[in-house]
Amino acid sequence: MSAVESSASSSMLGAPSSAIASRVLDEAAEWLMRLHDSTVTEADRRAWAHWRQSHPDHARAWARAELLMNKLGGLPSALAMPSLARPSASARDGGRRAAVGRLAALLAAVPAGWLGWQLASERGWTAEHRTATGERRELRLADGSRLVLNTASAIDVRFDAAQRLVVLHAGEILIATAPDTGTAHRPFRVATGHGTMEALGTRFSVRKEDGATRIAVLEGAVRIAPRAAASRVLPAGQQARFHAAAIDAFTPADEAGVAWAQGMLLADGMRLADFAAELSRYRPGALQCDAAVGNLRISGAFPIDDTDRVLRMLVSTYPVDAVTRLRGYWVTLVPRADADAATDAGTGAHTRTATNLSAKG
Amino acid sequence: MSAEAAFQQVHTLYSDHHGWLQSWLRKKLGNSFDAADLAQDTFARLLTARNPEVIAQPRAYLTSVAKNILVNWYQRQALERAYLEALALMPEPEAPSPEQRLLILQTLHEIDAMLDALKPLARRAFLLSQLDGMKYEDIARELGVSLATVKRYMQQGFRGCLALME
Repeated sequence: MSAVESSASSSMLGAPSSAIASRVLDEAAEWLMRLHDSTVTEADRRAWAHWRQSHPDHARAWARAELLMNKLGGLPSALAMPSLARPSASARDGGRRAAVGRLAALLAAVPAGWLGWQLASERGWTAEHRTATGERRELRLADGSRLVLNTASAIDVRFDAAQRLVVLHAGEILIATAPDTGTAHRPFRVATGHGTMEALGTRFSVRKEDGATRIAVLEGAVRIAPRAAASRVLPAGQQARFHAAAIDAFTPADEAGVAWAQGMLLADGMRLADFAAELSRYRPGALQCDAAVGNLRISGAFPIDDTDRVLRMLVSTYPVDAVTRLRGYWVTLVPRADADAATDAGTGAHTRTATNLSAKG
Repeated sequence: MSAEAAFQQVHTLYSDHHGWLQSWLRKKLGNSFDAADLAQDTFARLLTARNPEVIAQPRAYLTSVAKNILVNWYQRQALERAYLEALALMPEPEAPSPEQRLLILQTLHEIDAMLDALKPLARRAFLLSQLDGMKYEDIARELGVSLATVKRYMQQGFRGCLALME
């Protein structure tokens, strides 16, 4: 009993016996506000100096203000802004359960050693990363491998003692693997429902489609193991589609196929129908192509982060019009109205199209 | 209630309900490591509470305290998650050293708590000024509020911080 009492009394002694009056803190806050104003004058500064010196409590309050300034001033904006400017508490409520899993994912995504969380990669975290339509994100995995998620993609990262596994649930990823620095070599694998791909020191992209998985190897090689067929090694500069039962013939692959990682869609004589399908991956809503213009050949480099601009580029270069409904949510590429009469660009049609696109909310 | 009696009450609560609270938390969190930590935090909070009263319904009381701790924990997790994301996106040469990273995280938790009472717009104004160095006029334009409102937000922000500075 006496021990409890003595600890209680010592904590009372330790408590700040000299609390600063609320009114003084109000004044200090007002001074902080005024001194941060870009229109602060010399007279303001003199008045502030006078306030500070006119009472010991003012000086004490200002010592606190200086500590605060030191704290705030020491924060790098690039780190502090995203950390502190989070969605409001009510927005977070809905995602709470998911948040726990995502934190685990992030710990696994941070290079070992950061913040002393090396344990993350050894504890078999189950991870989940997602991108929205039009979003693109780069991750560094716990082993130093780099991974870029393309639009509308979802992966799990499962690193354990036996393997480094990325499960691709939807969309597309580009991976540059790092050599495993651990004591035992763990293979780096990507799995889809169709089979498993094992990296043999490499940079490669994987895209999951409805019926098949498409893989392109840019450096090194990847062993493809469909769920129910013999495995084959896909060398650099080659790509292949495969599903659970078979691997299609290899065809040449090049950097153009992964230009999305730099925010570009590269087309070299691509059919407009295929181009529209590709572009629609980066755009919320529907983007369709009338069969009458589906076989037009498109060439160029297009910025996927601004799909409205890509549509404007199309209609200014090719004899097509973009008909927009539902505030830009539903776009159909159709033959330009005057394209039958003349092949040159009709300015009237062009203007109408621009109006269509700018009218979208 | 004397300090000794209060201590005894927490002690009784602990032996009677600790296991139950931990499994309640485990169901909420989906993992037992964090549940064990937060159960400890809950009882630690009870021990440092100023005026523990006679507790008629121990489990209802425990869950209400645990819920507060849980909300706080989620907020800290969200901050850490955002921080890790920002670190991961930072170019290697600009990234702070491992020791600095931990110090920055601690400061971020402090500032986060200080700004807790601010409305979202006031919080945003304060951060734009203090982290990005934006002028009040520019903040007013960016947020679509008057200059006087930005100044009021700034004063509220500074006041909230000063209250929690030791």
